[in-house]
Amino acid sequence: MNAAAGLDLASIPERIQSEVQRAIQRSIKGVEYLSSSGPSLGSTPKDILRVRGTMNLYHYRPVADEIYRVPILIVMATTNRGYILDLVPGQSFIEFLLKRGYDVYMLDWTAPKPEEKSLRMEDYVLDFIPDCVRRVQRDSGETDVTVIGYCFGGVLSLLYGSIFADGPMKNLICFTTPVDFREMKLFQNFADRRYFDVDRLIDSVGNVPPEMILSSFEMLRPASRAASQVQLWENIWNDEYVKSYRMFDRWATDTLPLAGEYFRTITRDLMWDNKLYNDAMSVGGRKADISRIKVPILHAVAEHDHIVPYDAAKPLIQKIGSADKQEVILKGGHVSLVAGANAIKRLWPKLDSWLGERST
Amino acid sequence: MADKSNDPVVLWQTMIGEMEKGFNAFANRAMASPEFSKVVNQVGGTAAGAQKQLGDLMEKYLVSMNLPSRAQMVSMAERLQSIEGQLNEIKALLHQVHSNPNAPEGGYAGAPKPPRTRRPSPARGEQK
Repeated sequence: MNAAAGLDLASIPERIQSEVQRAIQRSIKGVEYLSSSGPSLGSTPKDILRVRGTMNLYHYRPVADEIYRVPILIVMATTNRGYILDLVPGQSFIEFLLKRGYDVYMLDWTAPKPEEKSLRMEDYVLDFIPDCVRRVQRDSGETDVTVIGYCFGGVLSLLYGSIFADGPMKNLICFTTPVDFREMKLFQNFADRRYFDVDRLIDSVGNVPPEMILSSFEMLRPASRAASQVQLWENIWNDEYVKSYRMFDRWATDTLPLAGEYFRTITRDLMWDNKLYNDAMSVGGRKADISRIKVPILHAVAEHDHIVPYDAAKPLIQKIGSADKQEVILKGGHVSLVAGANAIKRLWPKLDSWLGERST
Repeated sequence: MADKSNDPVVLWQTMIGEMEKGFNAFANRAMASPEFSKVVNQVGGTAAGAQKQLGDLMEKYLVSMNLPSRAQMVSMAERLQSIEGQLNEIKALLHQVHSNPNAPEGGYAGAPKPPRTRRPSPARGEQK
């Protein structure tokens, strides 16, 4: 087909005018972009219930006149900040939950200090999470607690739930939670035991630096950062696009260091020996077999997740011991599953309809 | 309506998208090789060790010069971020109180907690 034949000649002047206007807007907004700070994130009113080293427990102030009986404890991934679930009003998962009548707590992390390099997996699973659960129980006056874990927060929640299988976890929701670490192919290759000397790394750096974590995530899609900058420049005239770009970019680059001993266990037990999948995982000498978890579980996974591929997350529902279990595969990627326009349309309403009837 | 397939802007955007996908796929294939892992880990391991030693040395140097180190600056930035976060909360709270004349006296800290009696409303629509 002739290219010119398909071109609407009458629309050309209009198109040129629009492009010129955008070019002018790009210059103006480009200067604005460089000279202004991004939108303020994570501003849903909350009280800090407990701070202990890297561990922070928040309670978000309820906004509904009547709330569900069972409170929610969100366990955030240890590599990233919790404000991805509380971006700005109208795009905040926390705000959504509060408006739908849930009582929401969050276990969020700050960067472990050099002296916290010796924190181990058992500190997270047998100390931090149980401590937060007890405080949620005390603050809410309820025994039952629903746990929601995002990414590696989901792995920690699974380990916690399998060790404390007799309670008080009433429901478990996992977002993009890996179980079969063999299927995280690129991470497997980065951590190939023949070449990756985890002991040498930890012994020399203490805590794993955030730059290293960030580059390992970025290496999964090495061209995407450059492409996103080109897209930003093209769309810099569009305030909504810029706002969204800044929110996600700030969060994605705000990576946390990982405590050295904790990272050593992740590498040895999960990446190398795949113990969670092989039913051989134990934490602090206590067996963590996910088939012991019997509470209702919802696992939300993303169709195009490049960090936790579906094959790595799929065995969770197969291996868990619960009779009431459900997996939902939603469109989107690792982050857009939980935050942004996709999440508002897809995940959040699904979660609300599933959890509401299990929270009374 | 204009034919999008001939729009140079759309063509440019499509090209960028395709280049991104193509390069990512190519790089992923290259990174899946054991040779890549070997090289990256050799270089990365040495670099991380050297970086740590240099960092420790710099820290000592900065202390002797009575200057703040990066770790101290990061810690201060975290505290500032936390203060900024609390200010934003206060702003949000003030906004709430201002726009809600029925807000509890003495603020929300002493406010009675809502009853835990909520029941799910009839099925809401959801999209896959």
